[in-house]
Amino acid sequence: MNLNLVHLHLLLNHVPTVGLIVAFGLLLLAFAKRSDDLKRASLAVYFAIALMSLPTYMTGYSAERAVKNKPGVSQDTVVRHQRAALLGLIFVEATGVVAWFGLWRNRRPGGATWHVPAVVVLSVVTIGLVAGAANIGGEISHPEILAGGQAPSGTVAPEWLESARIARYQFSHPWAWPTLEAIHFIGLSLLFGIVLLGNLRILGLLRTAAFFDIHRLLPWGVWGFVLNSVTGMLFFIGQAFQYVDNPSFHWKVVFMLLAGANVLYLTLFDDIWALGSGADAPSFAKFVAGSQIFLWVGVLYFGRMLPYIGGAF
Amino acid sequence: MEAYFEWLQGLSLPLWIAESDSIWGFPSVLFLHSLGMGLSAGSAFVIGLRLLGAGSPLLVSSLRVMPRIFWAGFILNFLTGSLLFAAHATQTGFIPIYYAKLLLIAAGTLLFVPMRRFIDSAGSDGTVPGRVKVLAALSIAIWVGVITTGRLIAYMG
Repeated sequence: MNLNLVHLHLLLNHVPTVGLIVAFGLLLLAFAKRSDDLKRASLAVYFAIALMSLPTYMTGYSAERAVKNKPGVSQDTVVRHQRAALLGLIFVEATGVVAWFGLWRNRRPGGATWHVPAVVVLSVVTIGLVAGAANIGGEISHPEILAGGQAPSGTVAPEWLESARIARYQFSHPWAWPTLEAIHFIGLSLLFGIVLLGNLRILGLLRTAAFFDIHRLLPWGVWGFVLNSVTGMLFFIGQAFQYVDNPSFHWKVVFMLLAGANVLYLTLFDDIWALGSGADAPSFAKFVAGSQIFLWVGVLYFGRMLPYIGGAF
Repeated sequence: MEAYFEWLQGLSLPLWIAESDSIWGFPSVLFLHSLGMGLSAGSAFVIGLRLLGAGSPLLVSSLRVMPRIFWAGFILNFLTGSLLFAAHATQTGFIPIYYAKLLLIAAGTLLFVPMRRFIDSAGSDGTVPGRVKVLAALSIAIWVGVITTGRLIAYMG
C-alpha cells in the first residue's frame, strides 16, 4: 500500500503543473474566441486541480518516508520541497476557490466581474510557485540534474511553512487542536446544511423554491468547505503519519473528491438551473442529488471512523 | 447524583456501548451523533442565514421543510447523546462544560419555536421583522456554541 501511495504521488504531482498550464491555455483561448463555454470549462478545470492537489500534497508524506535515510538523498532538499509545495498548495486552493466563485457569479446577471482577472493573476503566480516546488522535487531523486556543482534550487516559501514547525506549534499550544476540531465541526454543519438545501430541492422536498434562488446560498457551503479544508490540512500536517496509512482516511479523501467534483453540478448544469418554483427535476438530476447527499454522509462517516477503523489517536 | 450516574452507566446498553470493541458500538453511536449534528445545526444555519438576509430572493416559505429536518436531527441526537452520556456518565456528569452544552441546546430549541412560527406564518415572504432577525442571529451563535462545547467535552475530565 505504501509503495502505491508513493507511485500515486509521482503520478499526481503532474496534475498541478500540467493542469494549471492547460487551464491557463483554455482561459486564453476563451478570451481569443470570446467563448463563454471555454471560459467556464477553464474555471471548472481550475476547481478540479484544486481538489486533486490535496491528495498530491498528502501523498508526498509517503514519498518522504520512502526516501528517508536513502543514500544520496538530501533531507534538506526534501524539507525545502515540502515547504515550497505547501506554499504552492495554498495558492492552488485560493485559485480554485476564486474560479468556483467565477462560475457561480457567471450564472447571475452581469456575470463574473473581477473573478476572471483574479484567476489570471493568481494562476500566473501559482504556476511559478508550483513549478518551483516541482523543480526541487525533481532534485530529490535526480541529483544528477545539478551538473557541475550547480547549487540546488531555492524557494521563496517562508520557513514557518515547514510542516515540522507547524506540527510543533500545534502540540506546544494545547488549545490549538480542540479549536481546530470545533471549527471543523462548525464548517461541517454549514456545508451539510447547504448540501441538504440544494439537493433536497432537486429531490423535490422544497419544491416551491426556484433553483436559481437556492443557488445564491451555495457560497455559504463553499465557505464551509474552505473552513474544513484548511482545518483538515492542519490536522494532517500535525499528525501526518496517523493518516497516510489509515484506510478510513483513504476512503474519506476518495469520497471527498467525488463529492467535491459533484458540487460543480449544482452551478454548471442547465437542467437544474432552469428549475422554477414548483417544477419537478429530471430523474438524472435527482440521481446526482441523491448521490451527493450519500457522498457527504460518507465523508462524515469515514472522518468519524478515523480512530476506529484506521486506529488514529 | 454519583449513585445515579453509576446506575446509568451499569445498564446493559450503555455498558455494551462503552466496553464493546464492535464498530457497531461506540463508533457508530458517535457517527450518528455527528450526522444528527449536521442535520440539526446545518438546518439551523440555513434558516438563520436566510432570515438574516442571505439569498434574500429565496422565499422564506419554501424553507418550511427545514424545521422538520432540524427536529429529525434533534431527536436522533437526543437519543444518541443520551446513550453517549450514559456510557460515560461518571466522567461526563462531572464536566461543567457538558451542562453548558445542555443549557445552550435548551435555549436553541426554545428559540426554534418562534422562528418556526414566523416561517409558517402567511406573511413570511414579506420583510423579515427585526425581532426575527435577532432570533436568527442568536440561533446561529447558540448552535456554534453547542458544537464548540460538545467538541470540548472530549478534552475535559
